[in-house]
Amino acid sequence: MRRLALVLPILAAGLLPGPGRAEVIFVVNSMDPGVQVVDSETRAEIRQIPVLREPHHLALSPARDVLLVGDSGGNEILFLDPTTGEVKKRERIANPYNLEFSPDGKTLVVTGLRRDQVDIYGWDGPTMALTLLGRVKPGDMPSHIAYRPDSKMAYVTVQGSRAIAGIDLETRQIIWTLQVGREPAGIIWHNGKLLVGVMGADYVAVVDPEARKVERQIRVGRGAHALFPSPGGGPVYVTSRVDSRITALDPVTLDVMRTYDVPGGPDCISFDEHGRLWTTLRWTRQIGLLDPETGQVATSPVGRSPHGIFFRAKDLVQARNEAPAVPVAR
Amino acid sequence: MLDTISRGYDAFTSILFQNGVQPLLYAFGMMEWEEDAFAWMDFIVFGVLQVLVVYAICRPLEAWRPVERWDDRRVVWTDVTYTLLARLGVLPLIAFVLLAGVQAQFDGWLTDMGWVPPTLETLIPGLDARPLLAFALYILIIDFGEYWRHRLQHTLPWWWALHSIHHAQEKMTFWTDDRNHIIDDMIAALWVGGLALLIGVPPGQFPLIVLIMRVAESLSHANVRLSFGAVGERLVVSPRFHRFHHGILSAGEEGRNFAVLFPVWDMIFRTGDFRRDVFPRTGDPEAPASLVHGGWWRQQLDGTRRLVAAIRGARAG
Repeated sequence: MRRLALVLPILAAGLLPGPGRAEVIFVVNSMDPGVQVVDSETRAEIRQIPVLREPHHLALSPARDVLLVGDSGGNEILFLDPTTGEVKKRERIANPYNLEFSPDGKTLVVTGLRRDQVDIYGWDGPTMALTLLGRVKPGDMPSHIAYRPDSKMAYVTVQGSRAIAGIDLETRQIIWTLQVGREPAGIIWHNGKLLVGVMGADYVAVVDPEARKVERQIRVGRGAHALFPSPGGGPVYVTSRVDSRITALDPVTLDVMRTYDVPGGPDCISFDEHGRLWTTLRWTRQIGLLDPETGQVATSPVGRSPHGIFFRAKDLVQARNEAPAVPVAR
Repeated sequence: MLDTISRGYDAFTSILFQNGVQPLLYAFGMMEWEEDAFAWMDFIVFGVLQVLVVYAICRPLEAWRPVERWDDRRVVWTDVTYTLLARLGVLPLIAFVLLAGVQAQFDGWLTDMGWVPPTLETLIPGLDARPLLAFALYILIIDFGEYWRHRLQHTLPWWWALHSIHHAQEKMTFWTDDRNHIIDDMIAALWVGGLALLIGVPPGQFPLIVLIMRVAESLSHANVRLSFGAVGERLVVSPRFHRFHHGILSAGEEGRNFAVLFPVWDMIFRTGDFRRDVFPRTGDPEAPASLVHGGWWRQQLDGTRRLVAAIRGARAG
């Protein structure tokens, strides 16, 4: 009996097949509406979480204990347990196309692409409660979100208006907008600058948020889309959906270091513990695993039009069992 | 098998999108529509698939056991023209896209008022975890809407002025399903698209629902001596069931067998006729010759004139 008592927790913690086992990938399929949990080694589907309509993006809570998935067509946010994939809660939220937590973990900004609105929510981690603090209308098709590190400003790309908008999170007002090019999509804060993927063109716009001007354009490939700084201060990776490539930018100079051909329209990226890039391939119903050292891409099938992706490392499961939660920025 | 077909379809649409649609969107500065275009492309591809699938199913059946044989098939070619124009998905696409835009604005306004519109899955507990059941319910509800649209086509004089083009065909084949006045088609697209959005049909499922209903409707028009048996006739609309609706004595207001997919509506509303041995001649004895023998343009023009006359007649009355 004692042996059984010892064995059971071990089995439950790590050896039984299931989302809680080890490294898994959460893939958000926008046109097969659902979240697919995939084993990173076997690439086999472990779990399918049905979603109402048209999910696109996801965000890990600051305490890393909840994975929020926005169902933009279904007007709903799903709150998933990242260790098991279980749905903890569903909440009716208007058109949550993209969502991002502020660095201080207190605010969640949600863009409503089809409703031309940006909602600012207060976040209470322990109760998973979202409180709508304000709504702004920055223009046509607000899309991706970035923050100033002090969490006082949010920046949103506005695809149909060719602009980015700076939103003061204290007054919850748009305090400036800037034209950056045709259909801006991804946006990140990087070393005091804003980097914006200009999807209707082939470049990343480098914006000085203090001077409020575009100071440089970096050619990366047609359909420049989203940007992802690699962990540990490594390269900034940019996806280009028309030329189907991923471009590595030097994190200091922002010069192009290398380009990788990744067929299928690479979109979002999540990094694994080895620094490899898991990316969704929007037009081929696949996810790809890019090894930046070799340039090799391995693909595996998922649902239709996969968009958001999240690599859940072992340490997240262990951290849940061992240590108190620490807020982190995404 | 199904997975192979599905993968093949995805491979085809992927190539089409990446080498055709996406570069065009980029060239014309329309990349903000990229994601929607990927979804909407299904309408066109599904339209072509519909024609191929319907032909593969119905043509052998018509050759096997035709109800009628004709030497002159010219009027059938008019119906082929109707099909090619209608089934490329252009009309439902326009309606769905327009309505989706209107709905987004309407939803936005409602949300501003603090209310998020429900969908069928949010109204019925547990449905969100049963996508197949939800899909079946969507089809059932849309079919119910189609039954009543069809009843009204026969009841309202102005609508019958348009719909009589469909009933004028004396040589009914599976192509006849699409023999409709373009205004009638637009009303139908708005009706079905509007209902789909009202009950919250996921945009990705809409083409599949359209495909299922189109295949069933084409089969029901086929020139084939086929009944589904005592039970089957009451479950799904058969060629026999729908031929009775097109019979020369059934045209107009006193019609029978209005159901499109499920005869249950005719059973509930007492408009069904389940005599399995009756395969009447088709056509509308009151239809002018142009609606029977005219080409596409002739029928569209005369249909429009009849519509105007019906509306004026109603006002005068």
